[in-house]
Amino acid sequence: MIYRIRHITRYAYDNPVSQCYNKAHLLPRNTPSQRCLDSRISIAPQANWLQEHTDYFGNRYCYFMLNEPHRSLEIDITSRIEVTPMQPENALDLGCSVEDARERLALAADEATLDAHEFLLDSAMIRASAPLREYAEPSFAPQRSLLSATRDLTRRIFEDFTYDPEFSTIATPLKDVLKHKRGVCQDFAHLAIGCLRSLGFPARYVSGYLETLPPPGQEKLVGADASHAWFAVYSPGDGWFEFDPTNDNMPAGQHIVTAWGRDYADVTPLQGVIFDGGGEQTLEVSVDVARV
Amino acid sequence: MATDNLTPTQPPSVAAQSATLEYRPRAGRYDEAYTDTGEVRPHWQYVLNALDQLGPAGLESRQRKAQRILRDDGANYNPTGGEQQSREWGLDPVPLLIGSEDWSHVEAGLSERAELFDLILRDLYGPRELIKSRTLPPELVLGHSGFLRACSGLGAPNEQQLILHAVDMVRGPDGQIQVVADRTQAPSGAGYALENRMVMSRILPSLIRDSQVHRLALFFQALRRKLNSLSPNGGSPRVVILTPGAYSETYFEHTYLANYLGYSLVQGGDLTVRDGYLWMKSLDGLHRVDVVLRRVDDTWCDPVELRGDSHLGVPGLLEVVRAGHVAIANPLGSGVLENPALLKFMPQISEFFLGRQLSLASTQTWWLGDPEDRHFALDNLDKLVFKGTQRRPGQHSIFGAELSESQRKSLLKELMRNPAGWVAQSANLPSTVPVWQSTDLTPRPTVIRGFAVADEGSYTVMSGALTRVAGEGSQVVVSNQLGATSKDTWVLASEPQRFTTLRDQQTAPLTGEQSSDLPSRVVENLFWMGRYSERAESSTRLLRTVFMQLNSINSLPDSVRQQLLQSVTEVTGTRPGFFAPPAKEGLDPEPELISVILDANRYGSVCSNLNAMLNCTEEAREMLSGDTHRVLSDLRDTIRELPQQLQPGSLSAPEEALDPVITSLLALSGLSQESMIRGFGWRFLEMGRRLERTLQSTLLLRSLLVPVLDDDQEQQMLEAALMCGEVLVTYRRRYRSQPEMRNALILLLLDRSNPRSLQYQLSQLTQHLYELQGGDSTSLLSPERRKLLEARTLLQLSDADQLAEQDSDGQRVALDIMLGQLFILLTETSNLIAGHYFEHQRNPQRLVNTSWSDDE
Repeated sequence: MIYRIRHITRYAYDNPVSQCYNKAHLLPRNTPSQRCLDSRISIAPQANWLQEHTDYFGNRYCYFMLNEPHRSLEIDITSRIEVTPMQPENALDLGCSVEDARERLALAADEATLDAHEFLLDSAMIRASAPLREYAEPSFAPQRSLLSATRDLTRRIFEDFTYDPEFSTIATPLKDVLKHKRGVCQDFAHLAIGCLRSLGFPARYVSGYLETLPPPGQEKLVGADASHAWFAVYSPGDGWFEFDPTNDNMPAGQHIVTAWGRDYADVTPLQGVIFDGGGEQTLEVSVDVARV
Repeated sequence: MATDNLTPTQPPSVAAQSATLEYRPRAGRYDEAYTDTGEVRPHWQYVLNALDQLGPAGLESRQRKAQRILRDDGANYNPTGGEQQSREWGLDPVPLLIGSEDWSHVEAGLSERAELFDLILRDLYGPRELIKSRTLPPELVLGHSGFLRACSGLGAPNEQQLILHAVDMVRGPDGQIQVVADRTQAPSGAGYALENRMVMSRILPSLIRDSQVHRLALFFQALRRKLNSLSPNGGSPRVVILTPGAYSETYFEHTYLANYLGYSLVQGGDLTVRDGYLWMKSLDGLHRVDVVLRRVDDTWCDPVELRGDSHLGVPGLLEVVRAGHVAIANPLGSGVLENPALLKFMPQISEFFLGRQLSLASTQTWWLGDPEDRHFALDNLDKLVFKGTQRRPGQHSIFGAELSESQRKSLLKELMRNPAGWVAQSANLPSTVPVWQSTDLTPRPTVIRGFAVADEGSYTVMSGALTRVAGEGSQVVVSNQLGATSKDTWVLASEPQRFTTLRDQQTAPLTGEQSSDLPSRVVENLFWMGRYSERAESSTRLLRTVFMQLNSINSLPDSVRQQLLQSVTEVTGTRPGFFAPPAKEGLDPEPELISVILDANRYGSVCSNLNAMLNCTEEAREMLSGDTHRVLSDLRDTIRELPQQLQPGSLSAPEEALDPVITSLLALSGLSQESMIRGFGWRFLEMGRRLERTLQSTLLLRSLLVPVLDDDQEQQMLEAALMCGEVLVTYRRRYRSQPEMRNALILLLLDRSNPRSLQYQLSQLTQHLYELQGGDSTSLLSPERRKLLEARTLLQLSDADQLAEQDSDGQRVALDIMLGQLFILLTETSNLIAGHYFEHQRNPQRLVNTSWSDDE
């Protein structure tokens, strides 16, 4: 399956911005089940500096600078990605048990397991805590496979929590999300990661896109898609497996990965600093995920 | 003298050597100068004898001289980072001596340690073999806030990355020197060590010469050689020192090193990233920066990728490093090495990288992230010192033995909550060293900071160190505690030292001040220094005049009195002041006048202007001479003493209390005339002065001379005006009569030979702008020069007779209009100059706010 993704971000400022520096995690990475065929990036006004790099987690990002005054900024990125569909749910009962996973993590005999330690520790936006552990615990019986337990946690988050874009911002703390049982895909991913880490399992944040299908008989609206976020857990000896608590499923071919990290802060789509500007600023984002 | 007081077990032969100075080492502690049996250690013999000959009075006077030199140099240490909190740097006149054999072991150990830390740094941001080989637990690195993922893969893996390394050491009870901590981000102290040496060589010149002390210059030569070699861009490299600013803890050192090494001192706002390169903003445009010696900690250096709320760094800096267009020493991310848990693993790391035993031992350290270590530490809480693995401002070591029950509980709770974030170290008592304390020598615990700099594939260690000693009665050393002081550290050579200075290395002599060496911020601060000092001076002169008139034997007529007082309000801009409605005649004006002098929080007061000026001098500190620093120190003292001097009922008259302020300000302007290179800095300082003097004079003359009074009263006003303008004597000599308006106006406004006349200010300003912008007759005048020309023309065309004329309403309208116009024209000129030369960019802001509370 090949997707064409177009992601446009537009800023408009009341007063001219004299300089701007940006780091953008908007170029899809390669994974075992997806391959980025090509990406095209165009920035208006033209950037004085534009470089593509690979970050610490192996994600692609581009860095750009504008050193001339501008009142608007548009970043237009189009990528073509080939995704291999999978049936991940089949793997749920395989793999190591919750109990085994703990032991093997402590031992960290192989390099992959040692590397996974990175995702066990607290990160900027996620801290392990007793309330998170208590919420997650019922799903994690010692003999159960870690993956099926995680799938159960995913389902419970979907059922217990209300999707509410009004409730949270990027900076809503996890404990408020847990308390009010509301949030958006980022919050649910952070929540699940926090639960897993609180139990001692490595989990990472995955950002990307989701292909949405219009209701039967209607035509798909351009720009109606959005960035999406979910998470992955590491099962020792088995590798990383992805889960989507917002949709109560496991990515199987309609999820396209952009980047992963310990949490949102590692893979912020657009992170930057501007000089001057002032007054109001508006932001518009439009995303299209289309099958080619 | 009571020689047997030295120690209880003092044998008589040694006692005889100490004829005058008493010293009693603490029992059970290793003492640097004396053995357990009370004998002077051989390498101390010569120095102690010499100090003995000086005697208590001699030492005390040397100590005073040292403090005076330090004060004149402006040597401060600002532990709290507050605006006016800085503390004078303390230096003990007794050096710490280290024998050559002892030192060669330390030197080898420090060099090896720097090499190891460099290897660790390159490994952690590269292949991470230390983790893969299980030499280091992953949490220790990956969970440390100094491990900056944005900095991974930045440097060339095969080259030395760690440029500077500083190590704190103590000598334990067994006499062995051991490491207690490492500093790897922006190590401080080398500059203070250098300053200590400079001071010592002035207070004990022959002693230092005859003791065969290793010189420090070689270390700084190596530092400069290394920094210059780091430039990735070819050509003659521009190296800058990046400081967090005038109120950072060790700002003195930043300015000191900048001057000593000959580099520009810059703040984050002085730099900008464009087109993938780093640039310094100076008056004549942008100049590429090739190497940055930073004194800003890692996470504050780039708000784009690191701390988004930092205003100390440069947005985009990391990308410039990534592009290989600038080198930063130490590299960003080196804070990961400032983790005391590494001390525990150093022996294994040494085996891993070098295949041999570590030569310089570390203090025994337990990492609480390790279960066994944790049990041990919790069981032995009372015997250990606890430290966080991440250094945070204001966080000090915790001594288990000194905790109250509740403190103990909260420490235990914290240790259990985040064990991997803590280490415990054995609470070894550091060795003591003799410290001069007003009448005798006392033993105080000491810690030594050594320095290494990368040099041609290995590390050069400073043959000396910064030694700090604890405050009185303290068992351990905390750098910023009260009474703590420092010592020069003399590493004794086995043979005489060759004399070297930094200048040996200088390739090309500096050709005077160039604009490209100065960030425009420094020039702007000099401009404002000129303006504020002139503003302070003219209001002080007026206040002095007013006090004199008020206190004169003949009581003043109410109208004169009222006009004088209102002129104070007008000139200082402190309305309502004497314009306030209940201006009851006969009401005591003194409280308001005192407030206009002293109230530093009142905009326009003398003290607020003086403080504003002093702040500017801090920002431009590296441009000011040693004499200037001394005058500024005196001025600070004067400000501090003013409230007492001006207290009601104090013996001296208020006008006399103001004299020292004026004297200091005159000394400053004299110094700028006589001791400053005629570069950009000087020119802007002078322009600030001239502009402000013009503005102040127009305000003053308008409020004193525009309203018409009786002849007698007018005499008094004229006298006041001439007195403020420093020309009363001139007037009397020249005209040999009572002042009259027309002649006074000529002298104050138009006389080209009077350096305080308006005409003189404007022609000086014109000259400065001409020098600055060139005199090409074909090109158009810049807007500021046009504005200034307008002001000059207005003044030149004015007619003294006409200006002196009064109208029927009792006003001198022509004078009023002319002065008013001048004020506006000069204000506009000043704005145009600022707009042309100084940058007024706002602080950067994050495009998307993703700030996240760290303490959630």
